[in-house]
Amino acid sequence: METIVSLETAAAPRRSSAVTRAATGVAAGLVSSLFLLFLLAPLVGLVSSGGVRGIAALGNDHELRGSLARTAITATIATLLGVIGATPVAYLLARKRFRGQSLLAALIDLPIVIPHPVAGIALLLVLGRGSPVGGALYTSGLRVVGSTTGIVCAMLFVSAPLYVSAAREAFVRVDPRFESVARTLGDDAWRAFRRVTLPLAARGLTAAAVVMWARAVSEFGAIVILTYNPKVVSVLSYDRFTSYGLSETLPVAAVLVLLALIPLAALRALRAGGRLASS
Amino acid sequence: MAAPQVTRFLTTMLTHLLADTLVIYLAASLNKPIQPVLDTFAAREHVIVQRESGATLEHIRKITELHRMPDVLLLADADVFPKYLVPGYTSWFAELARNRMVVAFTPRSKHANEITPANWRTILQRPDVEVGRSDPNLAPVGYRTLLLFQLAERHYRQPGLAKSLLAHAPARNIRPNAAELAALLEAGELDYIYEYQSVAESKGLRFISLPPEIDLGDPSRAKEYATASVRIRGATPGSETTVTGQPILYGLTVPTRAPHRAPALRFLAYLGSPAVRAQLRAAHVDMLAHPIVVGTNAPAELARGNDR
Amino acid sequence: MIALHQVCARAGGFRLVDVSFTVPQGGYGVVIGPAGAGKTTLLETIAGVVRSTSGRIILGDEDLTHAPPESRRLGIVYQHAYLFPHLSVRENVAYGAVSDSIVNELSERFGVNALAHRSVDALSGGERQLVAIARTLARRPEVLLLDEPFSALDPRTRTTARRIVRALYQERRFTVLHVTHDFAEAGMLGDVAIVLDKGRVIQAGNPADVFRKPASPYIADFLGAENVFVGEARPIRPVSPDWLASGDADEDQVQRAVAFTTGALTFYALGDARSGRMHAVIRAEEVSLSTEPSMSSLQNQFRGVITEIAPAGAITRVTVDASGTPIVAAVTARSVRELELAVGNEVVAGFKATAVHLC
Repeated sequence: METIVSLETAAAPRRSSAVTRAATGVAAGLVSSLFLLFLLAPLVGLVSSGGVRGIAALGNDHELRGSLARTAITATIATLLGVIGATPVAYLLARKRFRGQSLLAALIDLPIVIPHPVAGIALLLVLGRGSPVGGALYTSGLRVVGSTTGIVCAMLFVSAPLYVSAAREAFVRVDPRFESVARTLGDDAWRAFRRVTLPLAARGLTAAAVVMWARAVSEFGAIVILTYNPKVVSVLSYDRFTSYGLSETLPVAAVLVLLALIPLAALRALRAGGRLASS
Repeated sequence: MAAPQVTRFLTTMLTHLLADTLVIYLAASLNKPIQPVLDTFAAREHVIVQRESGATLEHIRKITELHRMPDVLLLADADVFPKYLVPGYTSWFAELARNRMVVAFTPRSKHANEITPANWRTILQRPDVEVGRSDPNLAPVGYRTLLLFQLAERHYRQPGLAKSLLAHAPARNIRPNAAELAALLEAGELDYIYEYQSVAESKGLRFISLPPEIDLGDPSRAKEYATASVRIRGATPGSETTVTGQPILYGLTVPTRAPHRAPALRFLAYLGSPAVRAQLRAAHVDMLAHPIVVGTNAPAELARGNDR
Repeated sequence: MIALHQVCARAGGFRLVDVSFTVPQGGYGVVIGPAGAGKTTLLETIAGVVRSTSGRIILGDEDLTHAPPESRRLGIVYQHAYLFPHLSVRENVAYGAVSDSIVNELSERFGVNALAHRSVDALSGGERQLVAIARTLARRPEVLLLDEPFSALDPRTRTTARRIVRALYQERRFTVLHVTHDFAEAGMLGDVAIVLDKGRVIQAGNPADVFRKPASPYIADFLGAENVFVGEARPIRPVSPDWLASGDADEDQVQRAVAFTTGALTFYALGDARSGRMHAVIRAEEVSLSTEPSMSSLQNQFRGVITEIAPAGAITRVTVDASGTPIVAAVTARSVRELELAVGNEVVAGFKATAVHLC
């Protein structure tokens, strides 16, 4: 004889009281709004008070234009160096498991955590005239302190760790099985990396580079220790503030906020494209 | 056992609750000498001292743009008081101490063993020597360096000297203020810097004394100094202003709207006391025999030296 | 051929411990085992994707233990296609191909020609796997490693894929190592069956032997043997006249006759004169049902009542309760109809002594 097994119905949903639900919703909304306000209000205020004059100033303030160009170029060089130098490290951290791996990752993150002037001082110790490396560079004609080289070094130092983290993530998202399959199909490790891993990680790596670039462009504390002149735009805006005061600094600051939208837009485009492509 | 510690803790807490505050904006070059004076004052008077040190123009901007008012303002350049602060923020200021321009260096500097008051110009024009100076648009010591060059050209009767000295202290070796400049010298990045004597002495740097005709250190030579003038950035972008040579004097004021006026005045008295004056002199601050007061409604504590 | 000697490896949470077996040149090896046994790790170690920590791996006639994957002349097909998303279907198939003509031939054969220029994410699961197999075979590997390649496919694609791979195997005679959890498939396909558990080879041999004579009740149970009994074994002299009378027994069998008692049943098996507590395994296919006891050579016959009839495609599994012991028989659906089997009916379940495996 077959026994009829009684099936219990699924448990009834446990609900908080309607009042609690409403209160939680309101509280969450309030907190979020305040936070967003906190983030956006200063920027909106800045742009609205200085935006128009700032963009006009771009036309005739050639010191500002020069500084912007210098900042963009040095940041780009630093980013290129970072991508070339740090991509292998990111790949290693993503794929290999080795002793001391977490220590290495922590050390790489160090420049992000230390105060910026401290980073500048650390670089001064290693790349300054008095150090072995710096001394050698100096005598061979490559001046670090007080030059664009110094700017690039400072930018690279503080922003490369961001690239390593983000690039590592990009590689982690590429299933290692793809590489295994490519290897069994005849590719050696480098070919598999070039033909499979790199194309699949490309979008993520580009986003990582944009993040690095944005960070490099906004650096002040570490750069100013190594190189005050020629001025990058962060040093220039502080200089303007000290010399002329707020009213003259606002347009510069507003322009910088507007220009910062460019890497942001690039990042959004990369992320959106990525969402469409992945399945 | 734990009683003394607990008592001390409670006393400190009480002090902080009941104590007065004194906010002082300080020239960076005065940091080292003034710190012990501030500490003693704080302990004696049960006052909490908040010290902010930085470049001259930074302090000015904090007051005029950000409306952050100190109780005492002590700057390395008395010139800025009439320029920016009188009469809007204060009705008076006092010139307290002198300073001189020197050429500072370290034992590591190139040709450190050769340099003398007689040959400093030659050494500083050598191609392998890194010479630094402060930004003339931001720090008084910066434009005083330029004035020094002019005075030197006249004094040594060497046409073109000013330009040459300037060329050998190029833009890449400019730093925004005296403190950063000295730091770079100590780090070995620069061989020689144009600096205040007080800073050189307090940092233990070696230095070359310059002739009083050019070092802007002698108040009696004000007329001579005034023969030199340079153009620096003005108050608005694109504008320029002329600065004339003047003896270097430290200036002090208590702003009209100082938030804690009473402790500020007590500090003034303390600063003027013979013990403190002697202490400052020992710390290489060249105090004037009597402060020179400019303006109106200066407090009485300035004149009296209150010795406790 | 694939020959492993005491191979050890470790990858993620999986490991291999002293794995040794041989699949002959052109042979078809099947790997079975529970989840977590290390089957995929085994394939990846042979492929060189996972580094072995000790032991030797010989492929063909070369010791390739330390060779990189690209030098091992093998191919691997995973359960998931792993088609390169940034390449088209044709570019995928052509990735490691030895020639264009191969690409065309295999695309044709696997029926993916029409998809050639499509992007990979537009394909169905079945199509993706066909492309993946084509891609692997386009390189003309000497060894083919399959990691449950058909299990995620719908039945029709599965049949197609199996058929094509089998045909290519017949033509090219590469050596195959096929991980599967479908034992029927394993039985059908293989020359060598390897049972893997917790990183060790616990049994290897002819698939039929492994299935009929599992080395442990655990394997038996895992392989889906329906009749696994616990009981006492007792070597006996040839007492039963039936044996001798039927003429089936020969001297060798007589010597090895064992009586196995489980519950209320005692049946005869052939074992190496062992005694004591052990397990007896009988595959359901070896059990036949009749309404009356037969006088055939079936030495073990038991009367019982049908307690369950479970149809499964062409085969029906009938459970008979014989004196309290359930015996499962696998009979054709046709037999069910002819014998008019129904729950509650009395039947006789019988099986040969040779079908009883003691372990």
